[in-house]
Amino acid sequence: MTTTDATQSAPSPPPPAPPAPAADAPRLVVAHWPHLRAKDSTARIMWSVAIALVPAAVFSGYVFGWRAYLHIGLAVATAVGLEALITYLRPSRPIPSAVPATWWRRTGLTVGDGSAVVTGILVAFCLPAQVRWFVPVVAAAVAIGIAKQAFGGLGCNIWNPALVGRAFVHVSFPTDMNPASYPVLTGDHFIGNVGTAVWSGGGGADAVSAASPGVHAISGASPLVHLKQYAMNGVWHDLSAQEFHRRLPDLWRMFLGTIGGDLGETSALLLLVGAACLIYKGWIRWQVPLAYLGTVALGALVLPIAIQAGGPEPVLRPILLGNPAVAPVFVAYHLLAGGVMLGALFMATDMVTSPLTSKGLWIFGAGCGLLTILFRFYSHAYPEGVCYSILLMNTAAPLIDRWTQPRIFGHTR
Amino acid sequence: MTRATFPGGVHPPENKWTADAEIRTLPVPPSLVVPMAQNLGAPAVPAVEKGQAVARGEAIGKPDGFISAAVHAPSSGTVTAIRQVVDAATGRTTAAVVIETDGRDRWLDSLPAEPRDPDALDPDAIRRAVADAGVVGMGGATFPTHVKLAPPEGKPIDTVLVNGAECEPYLTCDYRVMLDRAERIVTGLRLCMRATGAGRGLVGIEDNKPRAVEALRRAVAGAEDLAVRVFRTKYPQGAEKQLILACLGREVPTGGLPADVGVVVQNVQTACAIAEACVDGRPVTERVLTVSGDAARAPGNFRVRIGTPLAALLAEARVDQRYEELILGGPMMGKDQFTADLSVTKGTSGLLVFRKAAVYEHGPCIRCGACVRHCPSYLNPSRLSILGESFLAGNLDAIDTAIEFGLMDCILCGTCAYVCPSRRRMVHLIEMLRGERRKALQRRREKQQAQAAGIRRQVEKVAD
Repeated sequence: MTTTDATQSAPSPPPPAPPAPAADAPRLVVAHWPHLRAKDSTARIMWSVAIALVPAAVFSGYVFGWRAYLHIGLAVATAVGLEALITYLRPSRPIPSAVPATWWRRTGLTVGDGSAVVTGILVAFCLPAQVRWFVPVVAAAVAIGIAKQAFGGLGCNIWNPALVGRAFVHVSFPTDMNPASYPVLTGDHFIGNVGTAVWSGGGGADAVSAASPGVHAISGASPLVHLKQYAMNGVWHDLSAQEFHRRLPDLWRMFLGTIGGDLGETSALLLLVGAACLIYKGWIRWQVPLAYLGTVALGALVLPIAIQAGGPEPVLRPILLGNPAVAPVFVAYHLLAGGVMLGALFMATDMVTSPLTSKGLWIFGAGCGLLTILFRFYSHAYPEGVCYSILLMNTAAPLIDRWTQPRIFGHTR
Repeated sequence: MTRATFPGGVHPPENKWTADAEIRTLPVPPSLVVPMAQNLGAPAVPAVEKGQAVARGEAIGKPDGFISAAVHAPSSGTVTAIRQVVDAATGRTTAAVVIETDGRDRWLDSLPAEPRDPDALDPDAIRRAVADAGVVGMGGATFPTHVKLAPPEGKPIDTVLVNGAECEPYLTCDYRVMLDRAERIVTGLRLCMRATGAGRGLVGIEDNKPRAVEALRRAVAGAEDLAVRVFRTKYPQGAEKQLILACLGREVPTGGLPADVGVVVQNVQTACAIAEACVDGRPVTERVLTVSGDAARAPGNFRVRIGTPLAALLAEARVDQRYEELILGGPMMGKDQFTADLSVTKGTSGLLVFRKAAVYEHGPCIRCGACVRHCPSYLNPSRLSILGESFLAGNLDAIDTAIEFGLMDCILCGTCAYVCPSRRRMVHLIEMLRGERRKALQRRREKQQAQAAGIRRQVEKVAD
């Protein structure tokens, strides 16, 4: 056995010389771990959302006629065109040629990731069919130009771009956007803005049906207007479920979507089908729609509304106490009418503008639901509150994130 | 079969192609290059001279301090050089002893000829034997094992956990060792229990390895203080903290060690090495590793000498020369190498070669929350990566914010980057922030020392 003293033998290390690679040695690429990645990508998610919206988009043409396709087309074209223009003008981060990248990443024109298409479709979805042609153009331009790109593009916007676009045209073109003048429709085409007339006539959709014998499957004004009127005028005491159905489109049609309203919001069925696929893939987080719709339902049940309780003046009382027999139908109408389905399934679930943590998502969804039902019950100016509810909660999302940071492993809170 | 697990994590495609491949013993190569940096902590100091004859098991590197490990000659031969080589773990250079093997593979004469009775060894003798044998964590972390077996005062150890999770895709070497050497592993576990005074020994295995579970169950049958725990197959189940949580429901406190919750964790191959060190008195001279990846035409599990040049392994696995990526370790936490001119060390659990390198373009965070949902440390990787980019853009305060968000609690497992649809460089940015923090602390220390020296000079001047 030989032993040597370490102090004697250890030679002073020569300066590190880079090993000369052999001529035939392969050229190695070095990247940081992990070297495996899951298949999901941003583009895949965004294009999937766009595809999930296609059934409702096709159906909007069936309900509202060719104007629906015109509006969707204009909004998508504006969104994509403007995003391409802005990202063309903005310097982009160069990608090394060794890194495989899609054309839109390499050119910096981010339109290929599909998010502008989604925004365009969603902008059109929250506009009614009767708006003038430039309204969707303005809404999409505001959505992409101001709400999204001015904040730094994908991932950096604070508010849902589509809803900012809608809010902008809502205050800019109030007559176009007035829900009381939403179109009355037949099964396949749009016959005029007579929503208010329908209500003041007192007979609802039936009156128009009777007045125009050639028209079938009339849908009336946005049912939400009627719900609102009922709530504010306090006529619940004698309303049976049948009476409800006489004054409003029946629940089945509300669910299928052959009713008035904004382009994409009418068919709860098709929106649910699209959203179910995305939830299955994990690309929209189920907590948000569940908390949103749950809070709307709960709020409709327990928040006081004007109810005729025998006296001359209506009193404020929750429907659950004032007229429990109608309560389930009332809740069902609130869930199916207006933009709640579209908002809960596709607007509030926008990843960029909602919180990160699951606890935060519950709070976010519930907040949207609460604000929506508060708008619906107590705002005199405006029957619907989905748009502003979600925008307000978007504002709160960073705060919710801060509150709901998970406890870090090994920390005691 | 109840399947314990931990919150978070992912299940990447397993691709354990070599699971059914028996361990093949690679012939001793004509030349061994044995790096001195084979452990976490200070590298060993070369203890031999050029031209010196060495026997297998002879110490050629002496530990430099307590957190360091000895290095032994993996075969007999002559030292032909002591030169600088690339250290695969850090990419820097380290000293390495080059041994021209003589083909006789002669063990050192002074090693015990007869196996010792493991039950007759006291804790100190076990620790000494383990330290003398240069045993380090062979799962890849390479922490010197004798340090782990010496629990700090006031932290009683009640459980020793043997880690047979092998949650990295592709790797199957631990699995094959569990099939072949279950008895050895249990002997090692018993020795660890004796050294630490633990009353219970557990073996943790993922449920994608039922045959290993069976083998270990047979090996521990009849012992009341030993048991096998089966986990759901999920990455990073083999991470120490996640293993302890899944097995015992205990959470290692932040900045703490498993000893803080009364646990010592050893990899299955480490347990084998401990048994060999104590029973046979044999130092670590070989290990089992997996060679796989789509560029390997004959992937397999190999028993190789420490210091074997990768070229020998690549030839044995019939790797074609057109590969683009060479990973030491698994695909999730293994490190890409810029050269194949490396050798096997005690921590090399796998050698993966791919025809096409896995390089990804990265985009902005879309706040999908996938990383937050899957993080096994319950962090907000999205936020940490954004802080990393913010730092690169010149916001130097980002480090402090990142520490609030758990920068130092990240285990660098890469789960966040795996699930990220924007393919963000989470681990990369987190490591960058940690490095910058280290540098900042170093600068602050130097500044304070300079200031103190300045004050001293002033005081001396006044005193004069």
